[in-house]
Amino acid sequence: MTDKTTPKSGWLGLPPLAVGLGAVAATAVYGWLFLLAESEIAVLGLVALAALGGWALGRTGLPDTLDAAMRGHGRSMNGAILLGLLAVIFLLGEEHFPLLMLTTMLLYMTVALGLNVQFGLTGMVNFAGAAFFGMGAYTAAVLTAHSAVPPLLILVAGGVIAAAIGFLLIVPVVRTAGHYSAVVTIAFGVLFKTFLEVNDVLGGPQGLMVGPMKLFGWDFNSSPVLLGVEMSFYVNYALLGGGLAVLAFVLTQRLERSWLGLTLDSVRLDETASACFGLNVVRAKVLAFTFGNVLAGVAGALYGMMISFIAPNSFTFADSLLMVSIVLLGGLGSLWGTALAAAIVVLLPEKLQILQEYRFLLFSGLVILMLLFRPQGLLPRKVRSYFPSWRPQQ
Amino acid sequence: MDIGLLGQYLANGVMLGTMYALVAVGFTLFFGVLDVIKFSHGDVLMLGSFTGFTVYIGVLAMGIENPWLMIAVILIVSITTTAAVGALIARYLVLPLKSAPPLNILLITLMLGTAIREAVRLFYPDGSNPKNFPALLPTASVDLGGFALRADSVILVGAGIAVIIGLNLLINRTRLGLAIRAVAQDEETAKIMGINYTLIVLVTFAIGSGAAAFAGIMNGLYYNEVNFGMGLLLGLIGFSAAIIGGLGNIYGAILGGFLFAGLQTVGAVALPFASAYKDVFAFGVVIALMAWKPTGLIAERSSDRV
Amino acid sequence: MSDALLEFEGLGKSFGGVRALDGLDMRVKRGEILGLIGPNGSGKTTSFNVVTGIYSPSQGRVRFDGQDITGLSARKVYEAGIARTFQRSRLCLPLSIFDNIMIGNHARLDNGLWFNLIRRGALRRQVEEGYDKARELVAGFSRELAGRMFEPVGALPMIERRRIEICRALVSGPKLLLLDEPSAGMTHDETAQLMDDILAVRDRMDDLSIIIIEHEMGVIERLTDHCVVLSYGRKISEGSYAQIAADPEVQSAYLGVD
Repeated sequence: MTDKTTPKSGWLGLPPLAVGLGAVAATAVYGWLFLLAESEIAVLGLVALAALGGWALGRTGLPDTLDAAMRGHGRSMNGAILLGLLAVIFLLGEEHFPLLMLTTMLLYMTVALGLNVQFGLTGMVNFAGAAFFGMGAYTAAVLTAHSAVPPLLILVAGGVIAAAIGFLLIVPVVRTAGHYSAVVTIAFGVLFKTFLEVNDVLGGPQGLMVGPMKLFGWDFNSSPVLLGVEMSFYVNYALLGGGLAVLAFVLTQRLERSWLGLTLDSVRLDETASACFGLNVVRAKVLAFTFGNVLAGVAGALYGMMISFIAPNSFTFADSLLMVSIVLLGGLGSLWGTALAAAIVVLLPEKLQILQEYRFLLFSGLVILMLLFRPQGLLPRKVRSYFPSWRPQQ
Repeated sequence: MDIGLLGQYLANGVMLGTMYALVAVGFTLFFGVLDVIKFSHGDVLMLGSFTGFTVYIGVLAMGIENPWLMIAVILIVSITTTAAVGALIARYLVLPLKSAPPLNILLITLMLGTAIREAVRLFYPDGSNPKNFPALLPTASVDLGGFALRADSVILVGAGIAVIIGLNLLINRTRLGLAIRAVAQDEETAKIMGINYTLIVLVTFAIGSGAAAFAGIMNGLYYNEVNFGMGLLLGLIGFSAAIIGGLGNIYGAILGGFLFAGLQTVGAVALPFASAYKDVFAFGVVIALMAWKPTGLIAERSSDRV
Repeated sequence: MSDALLEFEGLGKSFGGVRALDGLDMRVKRGEILGLIGPNGSGKTTSFNVVTGIYSPSQGRVRFDGQDITGLSARKVYEAGIARTFQRSRLCLPLSIFDNIMIGNHARLDNGLWFNLIRRGALRRQVEEGYDKARELVAGFSRELAGRMFEPVGALPMIERRRIEICRALVSGPKLLLLDEPSAGMTHDETAQLMDDILAVRDRMDDLSIIIIEHEMGVIERLTDHCVVLSYGRKISEGSYAQIAADPEVQSAYLGVD
């Protein structure tokens, strides 16, 4: 079983693995510089560099070579990506704000991966992503304040609560399709935020304090010291958030590359035909919906602990739309697309303060253009494969 | 509970129901002709009421002081502008995506709604704060056993219901309405019959958006306030009402509008200790209704041919 | 056990006031190819939809292989051993040939969460087995097509899509195959090729029964052992092709003369 589709040499005649590792290193350096950049000019320059570079490299066949590297050398590439992420976190070690942004991005990416399973794979669009994210955060707030549950379990509890409340919506969401199911989640998202605002037990519009994450007795709000340097306490959250995002990515990717992923695709593309071939449509939808909600709940719990103060205004319908925008901009069903779009949607307005105010306008406009002119997204999804390195001889 | 309070609730419920029905009729018209959900509808409504507010400032500056004349100018300008916006949206965002998955149109119009909302917030002078919409209607009231029925409420409800009836007659009794219904029934056949398909779609979107502008002005006159965020909730309520009634059915939309207003009112009456929960209650019931009757109370015709 | 694999007994289905099926009695023997013909709107596709659980019948019974399957869900009917194709091809166009066929193989695939997410080695073996099976099926139709298993079906011409649809229906090893107008949208030559394919399939799987809905009388004449003619949801004639072709009632149903 030789792999004839992996060329010996790729972009610029270099071996794919070398190109792949180089790309990971370049991305890590870029990410580090971008997160550190202070002046608007520097940020704009870096954005322009990425846009131009991405466009130019895209035309020279780099994506194909990267694809080949991912398929042919999956383990090395994954290891390199993980190392790259760790390197960025430690290089930023003393910087509070960039680490906070990075972790926020990683958590949004986790949520968006879950939404992508719901929307991109199964075709159920969930306009209450921020609500499920918020449930996790509020679970964390209540449990850290009123119980002695170990914080790691609180993350799990955030997922469980999101799944449980999601089950309340299961009947209308599963029984309906398309816009009908969309109205259910929209109504729920608005209902959830209104509920938080009028509910005194959960702090009303002012919100609640959230206790910190603790792991094996280590308080995440204390600063770790590494090689004699006192790091920002956000390093803790960045590491855990990174771990969560990586776990979510691996699980989502495995889900997509499996019989279950095939079932979800089939349900999205043709429910009636799916049922005629014995697929359990209801189970598929329940599974996808719950999978996504759990990811949102867990990510939300960690987010709450990290920012230590939450209010209904962080979980509005507009935020839910932003999360759906991430999925759409990246490309439906495209996991790397989601990662890229999460970075753009979360980091860009934070770095360009001038955009902060305009971010909902900016991204809604961007999504409109995307839907009109490039509906497959920034990094379109490839034809399904189960084991990318496996291509039987034909 | 005394009769007076009950009467107050009832009057308020009828007012809300009329407004919701006007919004829901738009949703149902768009769905009827194109099988699409135009979610920017609520924000188009908001645009209509802001246009009305701007016109008010304009006519005030021109020295017109007769309130009836003011209202007439406000309505004419606001409705025509908003109708044009609706037609433009149909032409440049909805029709181009007609062959794409139906959810894409929902998404693109959701995003457009956000864009309109944000644009008003950011670019309208002091747009992030609520604006005081003038009370132009006479506020004299009749005392009906403990509750004051105000003239402006009666006029607004009367006008709203007249518009709904007018729309209904337009759809069911005129040649234009016949063409709209033909397109809704079967696009291909309608084209063969010599109906200008694109034109009819644009006109339908203009009519629906004009109705929304009317509801927006009504809302402004009633609450004496307009703000950039009003469209989201009104749009969602109108959408829910249209869905409860069964999309594509004009009577269903009217029924749904009044039903939703009824739910809110019941929510406020039944939960007096927590009237803030009335929206939570109403949306909760909508979700429950969707679980029970997934395609609305008056079922939409099934289109999945096997 | 009787020699009838599938039996309709007074099967009826109404939509609103319209009776699409009106007391239909029909039997399909084991191993036979039955042609189901009749003018448009005579209830042919509706009968498929009732059998496969897309619609539940308003009245009457459906028996399959000694079991009452009346009103079972589409999933249960498939599990009982009935697979079908659709009049308008309903393949998943963005998915590959392999994936489309694996959708038909669903019952044999492990759909557990743990299996799919964690036991990747076992999954890989199942994927490889599935691939061998799918490839063999496709190769039975076309060697060339079997070399393109990972291409999306949306890129294939109509006849290849029909073949993939038939493979998707056959991969689960059904006892009964329902073909809904397989020649729709194809040229004369393509139709002839597809008929050869269907006959070859029958030779390979000798206990497979087939019901075929078709407007092309050439196809019916060549393929079927027995025909049933429907009009307004009722059976108006049955017999061999020669018999029904000579039946004046059939001629008048088609030509609309009384």
